[in-house]
Amino acid sequence: MPAGSRVCALSACQSGSQATVVDIGCSADEACRLRALGVCEGAKISVIDARHCMVLDVRGTRLALGNALTSGITVHTGITRG
Amino acid sequence: MSTLQTPQSTRKDNHKRAANNADEVLRVAIIGNPNTGKTTLFNALTGLRQRVGNFAGVTVERVEGSFRARDGRRVSVLDLPGSYSLSAGSPDEKIALDVLLGKSQDTWRPDVVLVVVDAAHLERNLFLTSQVIELGVPVVVALNQIDVAESEGIAIDIPELIHEIGVTVIPTVAKRGQGIAPLTDALFIAASLPASSRQFVLPEAAELALAPVRVLLEQFGLTKGAAEMEALRVLALDRTETHLAGVAGLAPTVAKAVEQLQAAGFSPNRLESQVRYEWITGVASRVSTRAKEQASQVSHRIDAVVLHRVWGPLIFLLLMALVFESVFAWANPLIDGIERALGFLGTKVGRLLPDGDLRSLVVDGVIGGVGSVLVFLPQIAILFGFIGLLEQSGYMARAAFLMDRVMRRVGLHGKSFIPMLSGYACAVPGIMATRTIEDPKDRLATIMVVPLMSCSARLPVYTLLIGAFVPAIHYWGFVGLQGLTMLSMYLLGTVAALVAAAVFKRTLLKGPVRPMILELPPYRMPSVRSLAVSVTQRCRLFLQRAGTVILALSIVLWALATYPKQTPDTSLSVPAQQEAQLAHSVLGRIGHGIEPIVRPLGYDWKIGVSIAASFAAREVFVSTMSTIYGVGGNVEDEAVALGQRLREERAPETGKLVYTPLVAVGLMVFYVFALMCMSTIAVTVREAGGGKIGWGWAGLQFAYMLVLAYGAAFVVYRGGLALGLGG
Repeated sequence: MPAGSRVCALSACQSGSQATVVDIGCSADEACRLRALGVCEGAKISVIDARHCMVLDVRGTRLALGNALTSGITVHTGITRG
Repeated sequence: MSTLQTPQSTRKDNHKRAANNADEVLRVAIIGNPNTGKTTLFNALTGLRQRVGNFAGVTVERVEGSFRARDGRRVSVLDLPGSYSLSAGSPDEKIALDVLLGKSQDTWRPDVVLVVVDAAHLERNLFLTSQVIELGVPVVVALNQIDVAESEGIAIDIPELIHEIGVTVIPTVAKRGQGIAPLTDALFIAASLPASSRQFVLPEAAELALAPVRVLLEQFGLTKGAAEMEALRVLALDRTETHLAGVAGLAPTVAKAVEQLQAAGFSPNRLESQVRYEWITGVASRVSTRAKEQASQVSHRIDAVVLHRVWGPLIFLLLMALVFESVFAWANPLIDGIERALGFLGTKVGRLLPDGDLRSLVVDGVIGGVGSVLVFLPQIAILFGFIGLLEQSGYMARAAFLMDRVMRRVGLHGKSFIPMLSGYACAVPGIMATRTIEDPKDRLATIMVVPLMSCSARLPVYTLLIGAFVPAIHYWGFVGLQGLTMLSMYLLGTVAALVAAAVFKRTLLKGPVRPMILELPPYRMPSVRSLAVSVTQRCRLFLQRAGTVILALSIVLWALATYPKQTPDTSLSVPAQQEAQLAHSVLGRIGHGIEPIVRPLGYDWKIGVSIAASFAAREVFVSTMSTIYGVGGNVEDEAVALGQRLREERAPETGKLVYTPLVAVGLMVFYVFALMCMSTIAVTVREAGGGKIGWGWAGLQFAYMLVLAYGAAFVVYRGGLALGLGG
C-alpha cells in the first residue's frame, strides 16, 4: 500500500479525492443499483462534492449518493486516476 | 454516418426478408439508460403518431408509436421506461423486463430490441446492453449523441464495437434526426438475423454452479440466453422477484449455486458486475479513445455554481420565479388574442341565431363555457415547455439534489421532488413519475402529496382571479405583483405538500428514509423538436378534455342555469329579472342550498355552485362562472372579460361588491389545497394498489385536502376581516 493511502468509508473522503471501491455494504437492492451505475468493487471514484449528499464521478458519470450509502461503501484512497 | 453497418458474417442474409411488403409490421421495443436521448429518438422515429396509455394492471406509462419505413413497411415502436439494468426493483423496471422476456400479458414480444446507448458514456451503458444482448432477441444499438461524444474528444471505432458486441450499431444524433434512416433499415435487417448471444465467457466453475438454475429457468419458458442472464443476475438478489415467483424450486437451487460458488472462491453477489465490467472495460478500451475532457469540464463548471451551497438554492428559486412570471406575462398576448377571437365568434354566432334558448346554449353554454377554459392553452403550453426544458437540459436532477436536504427533513429523499415538480404541470404524470421511487412507503407518501403542487388546471382559476383583483404593478421594473402572487400560490402548495409528507411519513407511512441514488446527467442543449412534440401532446390532451368533459359539463351547467323558466317580473330592471331567473333555476336552487356551507368563507351562492361544479375538474370553476354570468347577460356582454364582470358584481340585497381582493385570495387558497380532479383520483386509486386499498388512499387524499382547503380559506377570509382587510 503506497504511503498516504488508507481504507475508509467513502463518506470520510474529502472533495477532490480519488478512491477505489473495496466493498459495498448496503442492502441487496441498493447494491444492485449501485453496480448497474458503475459503482462496483474495483471501480475508481472521484469525489467532486462531499456534503450531506455526495457528488461522485464514476466511469464518466456523475452520481449523487446519500450519506447512508456512502458510509456503507468501503474505499481505498490515495490512488492515481487511470 | 449514413453507412449501414452490420456484423459481416450475417450480411448476406440481410436482404432475404427485406422484400417490400407494405403489410409487414415490425415490432420494436426501445430501451436504454435514462438521459441517453431515448425519448428524443422515439419522437424522431414516430413524430406525433404516438399513443399514451398504461400497461395493464399498473400505471407505468405505456408510450407506443408507429411509423412507415422508406419502402412503406410499418414499424410499431414501444418506448420502455429508462433503466440502468434489467431488474425488477421498481414497477417500471419490472415492466421492461416482462416485455423483453415475453412475459407481459398485454404487450407483444418485440421482433427487435433497439438499445439506445449514450456514446459519451459507453462504459456505463454497456452494462444494460450486455444484459439485453443475452435475451435471445435480435438487437440493434443506436449509438446516440455521437456528436456530443466527438465534441468531448471521444472517438469510437464503430466497426470494432460491432465486432466486440456482436450486434448492429448505428451512430445517431436523435435531436437532429441524423442516422434515423439507416437505423430503420437496420431494424428490418436485424429481425431476419439470428439472435445475439453473450459475448463473454464465465469461469468454468461458475458455469457449472449456475447450470441447474439455468435449466430451471429454461423449463419455465425462458430462452437459453435469457435463462443464462437471469441465472447470473439472481445471485445478487436477496429475494425471488415476482416475475420468477412461478419457477418451482428456484430459491433452493439458487442457494445451492451460491454455496458452490463460494466454495470455488467467488463472491456470488458481485459475480455479475465483476464479469460484465471486466468485459466492458476491455471493450471500451479497445473501441474508444478520449483525447480531452472539455465537455465534462463544462458540466463541472456549471455544477460548481448551480450546486453551490448558497448560489444553488438562490438560482433554483430565481428559476422557479422566472417560470411562473413567464407563464403569466408571456401568455397574455396569446390569451388576449384567443379571448378576442372567442368574443368575436360569440357575437357573430349570436347574431346568426334567433333570440332564444338555442342562441343561449350555443353562445353562453358552448362558446362561453369551453372558450373560458381554452384561453388557458398558451399558459399550459408554456408551463409544459419549461418542465420539458428543465428535464432535457439536465437541471431537473440538480433540483432534486438541491431539494434532498429539505425532502429528507420531511422523511423523503430528493428523488421525490421530481414527481412533485412534474405535479406543477399535472398531478397525473406527477403521480405516475413516482414509479421511479423504489420504497413503497416513500412512493405512497409522494403520491398522497403530489396533488398539492399547483397543477396547470389551477392556472385558469389563479389567472382569472389574479388578473381581476391583483394590480399589474412592477417592482424594480421587472418583478410583477401578479407574477409574485402566482408564485406565492405555487409556494403555498409546495410547502403544504412538504408538511403533509412529513405528517404521512411520521404516522401512517412511518419508515426509514431510503438513501439517495441519483444520476446527474451532463448538461445538454434541449432538442427543439422533442420539446415541441411533448408540448403538442400535452396540449392535445388538454384540448381533448376541453372538447369532451368540459363541453359536456358546460352544456349540463347551462341547462341547470336556464331551467325551469319563470315569467319575468317586468316591474324589475333587466339585470334584476335575469338575476331572479338564475335564482329560480335548478343551479340557483342548488347554489342557495349550499350557500350556508360556503358563506363562512365569504362566498355567495354563485361561487358555491362553481365550486360544486368543479369537483370533477378544477378548470370547470371558470367555465361555470362564465356560464352563470353569460346566462345573466346578453350576447354583447360576452365580449366583456369575465374578470371585469366579477370586479363589478354586486350583491342585489346590499349593493356591496361580491368579490373583494380578500375573497379572491381566499378562493385561490381554497383551490391551492382542494383536490378537484377525477383523473387524479382515478390514478391515485390505481397507483396506491387498486381495489379497496386504492380507493381508501384516494378517499383519504380527497378528504384531507378538502378539509385543508376549507380550513385555510376560512382562516384567510376571517383573519383578513379581523385585520381590516375586508374591503
